Amino acid sequence: MSNQPILEIKDLNAGVERKQILKGIDLTINEGEVHAIMGPNGSGKSTLAAILAGREGYDITAGQVLYDGQDLLELDPEERAREGLFLAFQYPVEIPGVNSTYFLQAALNEIRKHKGQPELDAADFLSLVKDKIKLLELKEDLLRRSVNEGFSGGEKKRNEIFQMAVLEPRLAVLDETDSGLDIDALKIVSHGVNKLRRDDNAQLVITHYQRLLNYIVPDFVHVLVDGRIVRTGDKQLALDLEEKGYDWIVKEEPVAV
Amino acid sequence: MVHVGKNTKSTIVSKGISAGHGQNSYRGLVKIQKSATNARNFSQCDSLLLGNKCGAHTFPYIEVKNTSSQVEHEASTSKIGEDQIFYCNQRGLATQDAVNMIVNGFCKEVFRELPMEFAVEAQKLLGVSLEGSVG
Repeated sequence: MSNQPILEIKDLNAGVERKQILKGIDLTINEGEVHAIMGPNGSGKSTLAAILAGREGYDITAGQVLYDGQDLLELDPEERAREGLFLAFQYPVEIPGVNSTYFLQAALNEIRKHKGQPELDAADFLSLVKDKIKLLELKEDLLRRSVNEGFSGGEKKRNEIFQMAVLEPRLAVLDETDSGLDIDALKIVSHGVNKLRRDDNAQLVITHYQRLLNYIVPDFVHVLVDGRIVRTGDKQLALDLEEKGYDWIVKEEPVAV
Repeated sequence: MVHVGKNTKSTIVSKGISAGHGQNSYRGLVKIQKSATNARNFSQCDSLLLGNKCGAHTFPYIEVKNTSSQVEHEASTSKIGEDQIFYCNQRGLATQDAVNMIVNGFCKEVFRELPMEFAVEAQKLLGVSLEGSVG
């Protein structure tokens, strides 16, 4: 069953309010693969992540997205999540008054219910969570706090990956998880992400910088410029980019319309 | 809240939720009489808005008849944002469950003070009355 595609994006065109942002994206992600999408500001990286997760406000003008063979764009955001699609937010949202443990337990049980598994009770859940929290080297008192409320930037990002560890998604999309992290936190987060890598899941890592890819080593690197994937390569491509900048590719690429 | 005796203390916590076209007002009098020296009061009014067409208003009345007392008033208004709902959705929670969770989080401070039976009842009531108010 190896190399079964998890995600197939075909000629995806999308935008907001008549402004075209994605101009024909093709991307296939198979089981066991890690893909990185790099690109300058405003190239459409976060738009792609938002569309995959099902955020409102984007018009899909053409193309198709298949997730495990089903039409992803037909599903509600919560259905996508229950099917195992996870988005690590670039800006995790604070939810005052909602306890982190309670929130995560509710989320996990929704996913388990969807899979036809029995729900976890509080005791079982707590032991699972205590196991996972060590992976991200987060303090346990985080579990007693409200979701993301009063967290530092680094804690928020680590908390995203911690949630990912608990929910064990089939496809994880990491939207600039490295931004705002210092080098130590970056290592911890990357280590966590790498630990979660398995033969039956996949990761899509969105980033500006090559730095993250020293730690999360991708199988494929795609360069997104102005809504198109202009080049695909292995991790060497990321290194070349780091050295020469995005201008290098923009210049070399004949302007295809 | 009327303070008569000296060194008396009081706290008021008010939580208001507005949905649909609802308008919610808090009006509260804190009166410190002359005899109530060194009295203290703390009032907190928090409002939660669901949707774009509702509102919240706070009218605190404070009467203090001596100079040794302290009266504090705090007010906050927050709105359940699309971002919060989407974040919950992305973790697998349906919108209605997400709203219930956020509203309960908002009310927790007050519910905690209620006897167990009341708290459970109040929580259920909130769930019912807010059904369909968002989305």
